[in-house]
Formats: sequence, structure tokens, C-alpha cells
Amino acid sequence: MFRLCLFTSIVMLTILPAQSLFSQSLGDFREEINIYNTLYDAPLHLVGGADVSLHELAKDKPIILALVFSRCSGVCNPLVLELKENLRMLNLQQELPYSVLVLSFDPWDKIEDMQYMAERFNLTNEPDWYFGVTDSINQVINSVGFKPIWDEKKKQFDHDALLAGVSTKGKMTKKLLGLRNSKDLRMLVQSINKVFIPSYRLPTNTSIFTCFNYDPETGKIVPGTGLLIIIMPVLITWLTVIGIRMAVRKKTT
Amino acid sequence: MENKFKKITSLWIITVLILFVVAIILGLLMRFNQGGNIKLDPVTFYTDMTIHGLTMIGIWFVAGMAAVNYIMERYVRTSYKANLIAYIMTVVGVLMLWGAGFIGKFHAGWTFLYPLPFKIMWEQWATPLFLYALLVLGVGWTIWTVSLMISLLKKYTLSQVFAWQHFKRDAKPEVETPPFVLISMISLVGVLSCLITAAALDFLLLTEYYSNGGFINDALLMKNLTYFFGHTLANEMLYLGLAVIYELFSEVSGRPKWKTSWYVAYAWNLTLFFVLFAFLHHMYMDFVQPETLQIIGQLASYLASIPSTGVTIFSILVAVYGTKINWNLANLMFFIGTAGWVSGGIGAVIDATISNNFLLHNTLWVPAHFHTYNALGNVLFSLGFFYWFSFQLKDGIIKDKHSMLKILLIVIGGIGFLAAFYFAGADSVARRYANYPEEMASGKFWATFGGTFATIYLLGIILFIGGILKRCFGFVFSRV
Ligand code: HEM
Repeated sequence: MFRLCLFTSIVMLTILPAQSLFSQSLGDFREEINIYNTLYDAPLHLVGGADVSLHELAKDKPIILALVFSRCSGVCNPLVLELKENLRMLNLQQELPYSVLVLSFDPWDKIEDMQYMAERFNLTNEPDWYFGVTDSINQVINSVGFKPIWDEKKKQFDHDALLAGVSTKGKMTKKLLGLRNSKDLRMLVQSINKVFIPSYRLPTNTSIFTCFNYDPETGKIVPGTGLLIIIMPVLITWLTVIGIRMAVRKKTT
Repeated sequence: MENKFKKITSLWIITVLILFVVAIILGLLMRFNQGGNIKLDPVTFYTDMTIHGLTMIGIWFVAGMAAVNYIMERYVRTSYKANLIAYIMTVVGVLMLWGAGFIGKFHAGWTFLYPLPFKIMWEQWATPLFLYALLVLGVGWTIWTVSLMISLLKKYTLSQVFAWQHFKRDAKPEVETPPFVLISMISLVGVLSCLITAAALDFLLLTEYYSNGGFINDALLMKNLTYFFGHTLANEMLYLGLAVIYELFSEVSGRPKWKTSWYVAYAWNLTLFFVLFAFLHHMYMDFVQPETLQIIGQLASYLASIPSTGVTIFSILVAVYGTKINWNLANLMFFIGTAGWVSGGIGAVIDATISNNFLLHNTLWVPAHFHTYNALGNVLFSLGFFYWFSFQLKDGIIKDKHSMLKILLIVIGGIGFLAAFYFAGADSVARRYANYPEEMASGKFWATFGGTFATIYLLGIILFIGGILKRCFGFVFSRV
């Protein structure tokens, strides 16, 4: 009994500091920032001439918001292109309605720049796709939690590829960072349509005792070391009870 | 019985009763604030809620342990030293908890659910002080629990202490296991599992606290551990009270002593096993927990409660039905307490049924059921014991003035206080709100209603405990 306790303590005491030495990050929680907050209700100027506010646009159909800029030589083009392809493939409009708003976060962009962008992607006449600019872009990106940084040398913004789901009440229900597959995009569309989306913790180096681990590749959940910690107290209790009885019997005989 | 055990038990009783009155006053402040009758700032409300919850759970646990230890001396020799160490560590632990709460403003609720202790909205030192307080309490209680187990296991073998020789229907075993011994051992095993779980939880919390981000806990693991510890302890402390009832009910009623029959042995062994899984019903809304565990949670909730409740009600009804009973405040408290325990249990089983939990989860239905089996259940078990014990100190004859008035105040006050929680819970008023928003406006009315009846309950309690305190104080300071 004593040996078992000693062994467990030694294992725990050696694993934990070692773990913290080798840990690199606190985990990427950027997708969680400002989730369920109401986005800034910015006045939008849309290609085609319409002037509406962000919340008004979202009122009838929830929005997939893509933040880009017209001079982008990096991730903006693949982001919009892949969004277009994936949405076409998923073909969700009937069961889960949405519109897409491609909004420039570059204060120098004009509505003509966005018009040109829409044409380039062949999306000018696509229903439910809107391209636009706003005078209140700083308030919008702050409420999204999106932080582009201007690189003077490259004359480019250093920024994430970001899609944000906005519900009919103007609340941001989900964010996707990076170029993501159609499964993730489906989840985003579901979330803005009030369908419950299970989430899972991103694996980190700093957490070792997890109860269950989700494998995004296979979609399966496998038991983790944390389960042992839940079972351990009962095992130790029974070992103690049996140990006490054996010890007192030895003493009396 | 040695006088030192009478003295230490008297000390436990005095401490528990004083802390009880303070904790009820905190409860009243919360209820009247929820009703809009007084104004507390939210930090004070949540500090009061945290201290109220922890103090109540702590004192009624030690009350059960003290009673069990006192009665266990009838069967085996127990360790006075362990009892004293537990007392000292409880006092130190409570002072540390109250320091973290009242001075440091720590207010993460009695379950201190992860990651709340690290969302520091109070003095920086209050979080480690709180975690060390748990350690002090845990160590003291573990020493006490293990020492009581050793005492029992010195006399009874493993199969005897769990009454396995009684499983056969017509068994006439050589060694009979008294129901008190069986239920005490079953409760102590559960208590030890809870305390080890609490130690693991505390260890993981302290490790994260001192790791500066190097070690992060898994929220699901922490919630499982929290409720394994919290829910199971809340159940085990009830069982400690029931052990006392199995011993004393017949005795104070002038009836033959209860024996362990095959169904009593089976029922309590089932409880021993299934109570360890019942906590899973706290995780119904945690979709990351696999569905199988949720179903096990529901089944275990039924299987842990129904057999032991069934045999206890049966035993009490057989004892009182059609026979002359010497009713006094001790057995009346046991009798009413059992009714309260069963009523609260029904409320709990309703909530532990997954389809109902979708509606009742985290509403005031939850405090409704756990206050029922505490305020009108377990508390009455212990008050019955305290009452009986305090007369033991004097002349052993139980006589009292105004018995009816005391009982009526406690029962009427208690029922009104609990009804307010149930009605508000059924109306979807959420628990743990300092001030109810417009959507839960009915919560305000029920809070004032509940607070008023709780004041009547407090009055009854003060009248009831006055004599007990006097007799216990007298004994502690006597030279015998
Ligand atoms: C008349 C006596 C009592 C009053 C007035 C009272 C009042 C309250 C109130 C107002 C709350 C907060 C409810 C909410 O969630 O909104 C509460 C919570 C609680 N009470 Fe009581 N209570 C009393 C007796 C007891 C007893 C006897 C126990 C246990 C033995 C107990 C244990 C608890 C616990 C564990 C909580 C939960 C605290 C938390 O959520 O962190 N109470 N009580």
C-alpha cells in the first residue's frame, strides 16, 4: 500500500515538472475570443449600391463573414475561393440558409476595389453573396477579435485567414481560423442556424490527464489517462481496507 | 463510556451548532437579497453563498462522524487521538476557509468548479489559502476515517463488517453484524474514496496554480472529480446519520434493537457500490462525456437510493406501526428526518432522470432537493442524536417543555422554505443568481416567501438547541 502510494507520488511529481519544462504554448484559444459577443453594428456599403447595417443584413439570413483586403497577395484569395467551392459542394441553402459577406478590413479599400474582387471570383450575380466596405472597420475587427498588422516593408497586412459566423441577432457564434475543410464550414453554418455544435479541446502539451481524447481525423473519442485518476480513489480505498484488515490480523495472530 | 469521549463529542456539538446558526443567517441574507428585501453587492452574495455551502456541508459531515464515533465506542475501542486531531484540524481548516472567504473574498461556490479558482476576482492569496484549507480539512478527516475503519476491522473480518454472512435468507451466522456497524463501515468506505478524490483534485489545482501556465487541467476531469467528491460526500454524510438512526431509534422508542436481516445487508451493499457512480448525473449537460456514462449515471442514481431508502422506511414503519412508542424529541427528529430524507430523495431522483434534467438542470429545483434532505433530513438526524446525547450527560431521562412548539416551528418553517425553492425551480428560475433578472421575476416573490419561512425555521432551531448547548457547555467545563 505504502509502496503503491510512494510510486504514484513519484510518477506524478516527476511527470508534472518535466511536463511544464517542455511545454511550449498555452493552447490556441484565438477561435474562442469574443465568441457569443454581439458584433459591432457597422453601416455597410455593398457592391450594387445598397447601404445597410451589419445587423440588418443578418436579420433575415445569418451571415458568414470573410475579412479580406483587395491588394492581398497572401491568404485572402485562397480563402474566398475555397469558401465558394466548399459552399457549392455542401449545398446547404435549403436546410440551413445563410448569406456570405466579404468585407474589406483595409481602410484604403474603396467599393470599386471590392466590385473588382467580386468580378474576379465570378460572384457578382451570385445570390446571397455580398462584397462591401465600411467606415467603421476598426470597431468591426475589434468586436470580432481580429488583429491585422500592417507590414510597411511588404506593403501588406499580416493577418489570419478568418471566417466568422454571425447569427440573425448579430452575435458571433463561431470562428474558423486558417483554411479549413468543408466539415468545419458545415459546423459554422449550423452554428449560425442555432444547431448545437459539439466542440472539443485542442490538444496541448500542457495538459496530460485528459478523460477522453478526440481524434479530429477519425472523429472518434478514445479514453485518456484522466480516467485512471477518477478510478484511483476507489482502488486506493479498497487497498486500504484490505491492507488494514491484513495488518490487524497479523498483529492479533 | 469514557468521559473524554463525552467531552470531545460535546465540543463537536457546540462547534457544529454555533456554525449552523451563523450559516443559516448567511442563507437568510442570500434569500432576502434575492427577494429584493435587502441589498448585498454581488461579491458579498457569492462569498456568503460559498461560505454557507461549505460550512453546512462540513459541519453536518463532522456531526455525523462525531455521532458515529461516539456510538461506535459501544462495539469497539476507537482512537481518541484521531478524534481530537480531526477536531483541531477542522477548526483550523474552517478558520482558513472563512479567512479566504470573508477577508479574501474568495467566492467560487462550494464546488469551486474548475477553472473558477483561477479566475481571480478576489485577493490573490485567497485562492492558495482556500486550497490549503481543503488540504488541512482533508488530512484531518482522512486520519479520523481511517482510524475508525481500523477500529472496526480489528474486531470484524471483511465479510463480517459488510454483513455478507447475512446474505442467505435463513442464515444464523455465528457473528452477527449490527446494522450500525454495517452502515458505518459502508459510509466510511465511501467517505475515504471522497477524501482521496478531494486530495487528487486539490493536488491538480495546486499544481496548475504553481506551474505558471506549464500545466493545464482537463476541465472534464476536474468536473468529474469535483462531483465525485462533492456529491458522494453529501450522500455519505446522510448515511452516517442513518447509521445512528438504526442504532438509536428503537432504543429511544423503547422497542427491541434492530438486527441485520438479509435484505438490509443486500440493500446497503448495493448502496456501497452504486453510490460511487451516482455523481455522473451532474454531468448530463456535459456533451463531451460519452453517452454510456450518462446512462450509467441515471441507473446508478436509482440503484443507490431506492434499496437503502426502501429498507429504512420499512424498518421504521415496522417499528412504529400499531405499537406503543415513547415519542420524544429524539425519535421524533429521527422520524421526521427520515420523511425529509425520502422527500428530498424523490426530488433528487426526478432531477436525476435525464429527460427531466433538460428542464431542471441548474434551476432552484437543485437547492430544493438537497436542502430537503439536509435541512429537514440529515440535520434532524444529527439534532436527534445531539438531543439524546445531551440528556445522556445529565440523567438519561428525556423530558422537555415546549416540544411541540419547537417541532412545529422547524417543520412548518422548513416546509415553507423548501416549497419556495421547489415552486421557483419548477418555474425555471435559475440557481445561484444574486439578483433575478426580469425573465425570472417570480424568483423574487418565492425568495421573500422562502426567507420568511426560513426565519421561522431558525427560530425553531434556536429554541431547540438552547438546552443542548447548555448541557454540552456544562459538561465541557465540568471537572468530571
Ligand atoms: C434555513 C436554512 C437555510 C437557508 C436559509 C439556506 C439558504 C440558501 C440559499 C439562499 C442558497 C443559494 C441558492 C441559490 O442557488 O440561489 C443556498 C445554497 C446552498 N445551501 Fe443552503 N440554506 C439553508 C440550509 C442549508 C443546509 C442545512 C445545508 C446543508 C447541510 C445547506 C447547504 C447549501 C449548499 C451546499 C448550497 C450551495 C452553495 C453553492 O451553490 O455554492 N443549506 N442555501
